[in-house]
Amino acid sequence: MSNEEGEVQAEVASDQRLGRFERLPVRRIVLTLLTVTIVVAVGGGIFKTLTLTGVDHLGWTFWANLLVIGLALGSVYALIALGYTLVYGILRMINFAHGEIFMAGAFGSFFFAAAYAKSGFLNAHPWLALAILFLVAMGVSTGIAVLLERVAYRPLRNAPRLVPLITAIGASLFLQNSFQGFFGSQTRGYPRPSLLDGTIKLGRVSFDKIDPVVIATAIVVMIGLQFFVKRTKTGKAMRAVAQDREIASLMGIDVDRVVVTTFVLGGMLAGIAGVLYALTFGQVGATMGFLPGIAAFTAAVLGGIGSVPGAAIGGLILGVAESVGPYLLLSGINVPSPFELKGVITFSILVLVLIFRPGGILGTGEAEKV
Amino acid sequence: MARLLIRTAAWTGAIAGLVIVYLAMVGMIERLDTLPIIGTVGMDTILIFVPAAVGGWVVTRPRVVAGERRTATPGAGVALGAAEGLAAGAVVELGVVLVSAMGIETVRQVFSAVSPSLIEILRFHMASVPAALVLLVATTVVGALGGLLSALPRSVRGPVATGAAAILVVALLRQVIAPAFDQMKIERDWLYSPITLGLTWIGGLVMFVLAAATVRLRVGHRLATILVPSRYPSAAPPEPEGLTAEADGEGPPAEGRDAFGAGISRRGIAIIAWCVIAVIVGVLPYLVGPVVSRILGTVGIFLLLGLGLNIVVGFAGLLDLGYVAFFAVGAYFTAILTGGQRVTFTGYEAPTFGLHLSFYVALPIVVAVAAFVGLVIGAPVLRLRGDYLAIVTLGFGEIARVIFGSTWAQNLFGGSLGMSSITAAELPGVNVNFQSDPRHFYFLVLVFCLLAVFVSWRLQGSRVGRAWNAMREDEQVADAMGISTTRFKLLAFAMGGAIGSIGGALFAVSLGSLTIASFQILVSITALSVIILGGLGSIPGVVVGALVLIGLPGLLTQFADYRLLIYGAVLIAIMLLRPQGLVPNVRVSRELREDERSQDQWAKHLLEQDAVDAPEPTGGALT
Repeated sequence: MSNEEGEVQAEVASDQRLGRFERLPVRRIVLTLLTVTIVVAVGGGIFKTLTLTGVDHLGWTFWANLLVIGLALGSVYALIALGYTLVYGILRMINFAHGEIFMAGAFGSFFFAAAYAKSGFLNAHPWLALAILFLVAMGVSTGIAVLLERVAYRPLRNAPRLVPLITAIGASLFLQNSFQGFFGSQTRGYPRPSLLDGTIKLGRVSFDKIDPVVIATAIVVMIGLQFFVKRTKTGKAMRAVAQDREIASLMGIDVDRVVVTTFVLGGMLAGIAGVLYALTFGQVGATMGFLPGIAAFTAAVLGGIGSVPGAAIGGLILGVAESVGPYLLLSGINVPSPFELKGVITFSILVLVLIFRPGGILGTGEAEKV
Repeated sequence: MARLLIRTAAWTGAIAGLVIVYLAMVGMIERLDTLPIIGTVGMDTILIFVPAAVGGWVVTRPRVVAGERRTATPGAGVALGAAEGLAAGAVVELGVVLVSAMGIETVRQVFSAVSPSLIEILRFHMASVPAALVLLVATTVVGALGGLLSALPRSVRGPVATGAAAILVVALLRQVIAPAFDQMKIERDWLYSPITLGLTWIGGLVMFVLAAATVRLRVGHRLATILVPSRYPSAAPPEPEGLTAEADGEGPPAEGRDAFGAGISRRGIAIIAWCVIAVIVGVLPYLVGPVVSRILGTVGIFLLLGLGLNIVVGFAGLLDLGYVAFFAVGAYFTAILTGGQRVTFTGYEAPTFGLHLSFYVALPIVVAVAAFVGLVIGAPVLRLRGDYLAIVTLGFGEIARVIFGSTWAQNLFGGSLGMSSITAAELPGVNVNFQSDPRHFYFLVLVFCLLAVFVSWRLQGSRVGRAWNAMREDEQVADAMGISTTRFKLLAFAMGGAIGSIGGALFAVSLGSLTIASFQILVSITALSVIILGGLGSIPGVVVGALVLIGLPGLLTQFADYRLLIYGAVLIAIMLLRPQGLVPNVRVSRELREDERSQDQWAKHLLEQDAVDAPEPTGGALT
C-alpha cells in the first residue's frame, strides 16, 4: 500500500524518460503557478479588505461576530466530519451518503419539534424537549446508517474501490429523493425554544444565543468520542480493524460488528449535528444534507482523514473560512456579493489540501491509520 | 432444512412487503395510477405485485449450501413463492390497517404521500375485509408464480420473463409506437386500447408471444454477435451472460454463433441489419412526431455527455464527478461566442467579449476551450486516485457552477438570470430551424452523436485506448511499461471534456437560453448513471443507458418526479447485482469477474456460474 512511494518512483521514472512532452514537468509548473496565484490573490485580497475597513463599516466587532458564527458552523461540520473520518478509517471508503444521514436526523426530529412547539412543551421544558429531539435524531440517523451499511456497503466490502463509492453516490441520491417523496419537497421551519432565541452581548460583540450552545455541545461530544476510541475496548477493536482488517479478524475481533459500531457512531454524531444545524438555521429540507456533507468531507480531509482530533480541527477551520473568508478575501477586490462564492472557497480548500498535503493537517502521508 | 427455507421465504416476503410499502409511501403507487399498462391494469397494480413476484423468484433461486449447489423443484418453487407472497401481502395489509387505525389525516401530516386515494388503490376500491383477502390471495398467487418461474428450466424461464418484460416495455412506449403506427397507416387499435390507452389483452398476448419466441430462438443473441463482432476473439471466452439485455445471467455458452441459416452469409445479414437500423434512425423523428423528437434530442445530448464521460471513467478509469463543468463550458461559451445576450433586470445586454460568430465557427473554439479546461482541471489532480479524485473533481464542478452563476462574473455569463437569444445554428441555404423544430434538432444531435461514437470506437482500440486500458488496470505497472500516465491522463480529461462540451453547445442551441439551474451537480451524476447502467467502457452501453435513463422518464411524465430516485436506485442496484452493466464491455467485465474470483466474498457467485475461465493475475478494473 505504499502508494506515495510508488508515485515518487513513478515520477522519477517519467522524468528520466526522454520524450519531449515527458521532460516537461507539467505538474510542477502548474503547481508553482497555482501557488503563486493563490498567495498573491489571498494576500492581496486580505490586504485590500483590511485597508478598506478603516473607512468602511467593517469594524472588529463585525469580524468577531463572523468568527463566532464560523465556529458554530465549524462545530457542526466537525461532528459530520467525524462520521466520514471513522468510516474512512475502518473501510477506506468515502460514505458519500453521510450528508443524507445527517439530513435524516434533522428531518426525523423536526416532526417531534413541531409537535412540541405546538403543544408548548418545547418552551415549558426546553432541556427535556431538546434531549428528546437529540435522541430521536440520533435514532433515525443511526437506523439509516446501519441499514445503508447492511444493504448497500457490506456486500461490496471487497469490491474494487470505486464500486462502493458509486454505490454511495447512488445511496445519497436515493435517500435524498426518498425523503422528498415521503415528506414533500418544501423546506420547513424548525422551531427553536425561546430559551435559545435572541442574542447575547459580550462586551461589544453580540451573537445568537444558539451559537455557544452549539459549540459547547460539539466539544463535549467530541471529547466523549475521543475517549471512546482511545480508552474503551470497542474503541481499541476499531483501531485494530482500521490498521489491518484481516489480522484483526484473526485476533478474534468481529469485523462486521466493529463496522456496524462505526456506522452507529457516525450516525449518532450526524443526528446530533442535524439537530444543531436545524436549530442554528431554523429550517430543514430534503436537500439540506448535500452541501454540509461535502463541506464536512472537506473538513475531514483538511484535518487528516482517519483522525478524530483532525476532523475537529478541520471542521472549525473550514467553518471559520466559510464565514470569514468570503468577506476577508473578496470584498476588498470589489467582488459583488462575496458570500455567493462561499462554495468556491470550500472547494478550493479541498482541492488545495488534496494537492499539496493529501494527508491533511494531522494525518500522515497517505492517511492510513485512525 | 424445510424450516430454514420457510424462514427465508418469510423474511424475503417481509422485505418485498416493505418495498411495496416504501413505493406507496414515497408516492409512486398513487402517482402511477394514471399510467395504464394492459387491459384495466395500471402501473400502480404492477408496482404492488412486482416486488412480491421478484421475492418469490429470489427465494427459489439456486443456492449454495455447504459447497453444494441446490436447485428447487417446480413444486417447491410454488410453495416457497407462495409463502413469500403471503408474507409480503401480510406486511402491506398490516400497513394499510395501521394507517386506517391511526387515521389517514394524522399520518398524512408526516407522510405527505399517504392519502385516501392511495388507501383506495391498496384496497382495490373495495371494502376493507374483502380487500384484505384479495390482497393476500393475489400476492400469494403472484409470489407462487415468481417461484414457479424461477424453478422452471431456463428454456422456459427466459422466454416467459422476457415476454412479461416486453408487455411492460411496449405499454410504456405507447407514445413512440402509436404515432409511428399512425404515420405508417397501420391499424393499432388491436394493440393499444383507445379507451384505457394501455395495451389490449390481445395486443399484450401478441407482444408476449413475439418476445418469448425471439428469446427462445436466440434471435437477439445471434443478431448481436453478428452486428458487433468480438474484438478479441481468441482472448474472450464465450460470454456467459449473452450480449442482450434481456438474457438473464447464467446461461450456457453461446452455441449459435454461426448464423440463422446456411443461405445468407453473416456479412450479408450484418449489412442488411445495419441498413435497417440506419433507416429506422433516419426516419425516426418523422415517425414519432415533434414531442418525442424533443425527448430524443435530450437523449442525444446526454448520449454525448455519456460518451465523453465514458472516455474519462470507462476507458481511463478516472472517476470524474465534476463533468457538469464541461457541459457548462460548452453551453456558456457557445452563448458568448454566437451572440447570446445576458438577461438583466432591465432587459437584454451583450456580454463582455460578446461575438457574433456562426455556430459552426464557434464550435471548434468551444471544444478547444473545453479541452483546455480539461487540462487545467486534470493537471493538478494527476497524482490523486480513486475516491479522492472523485471528490476533487466534484469540487471543480461546483466551482464551475458557482462561478458561472455568480454576480461577480455577471458581465460575462449573465449571473443568476442567465443568458438568452442564443443562435439557432442556422445552416446557410437550407431551411432548417434547430430551435423551433425538434425534428431538425434531432438530426443535428445525431450527426454529433455519430461522430462521438466513431471517435470513441476508434480510440478504444487504438494505441491511446490501449494505454488507457493499461492505466486503468494498474497505473504503476502501466508507468513501468513505458506509458506516460501524465500524458494519457491529461489526454483523457481533454478528450472527455471536448465531447462533453459539444453536448453543452447543443443544449444551448436547443433551448436558446440558459440559466444556472441547468448545470447542477445532478448533470454529472445523471451522466454517470447513464454509463454505469449500460456498462463502463461500453459504447453500446452508453446508448442503452441514455435511452433508458433519459428517454423513458422523458416519455413518461408520471415517472419524471421519481427520475433522480430511480437513478440512485439504478446506481446501487447495478453496482450490487451487475457491476459490468447491462451491455458490458467484454474486457471490463472480464476484469470485474477476475476480481470476483480473487475475492472470497464474491467467489460464491462463481459457483453458480458454469463457465470458469483461467484466472489471470491482473488488477481490478476500477481501482
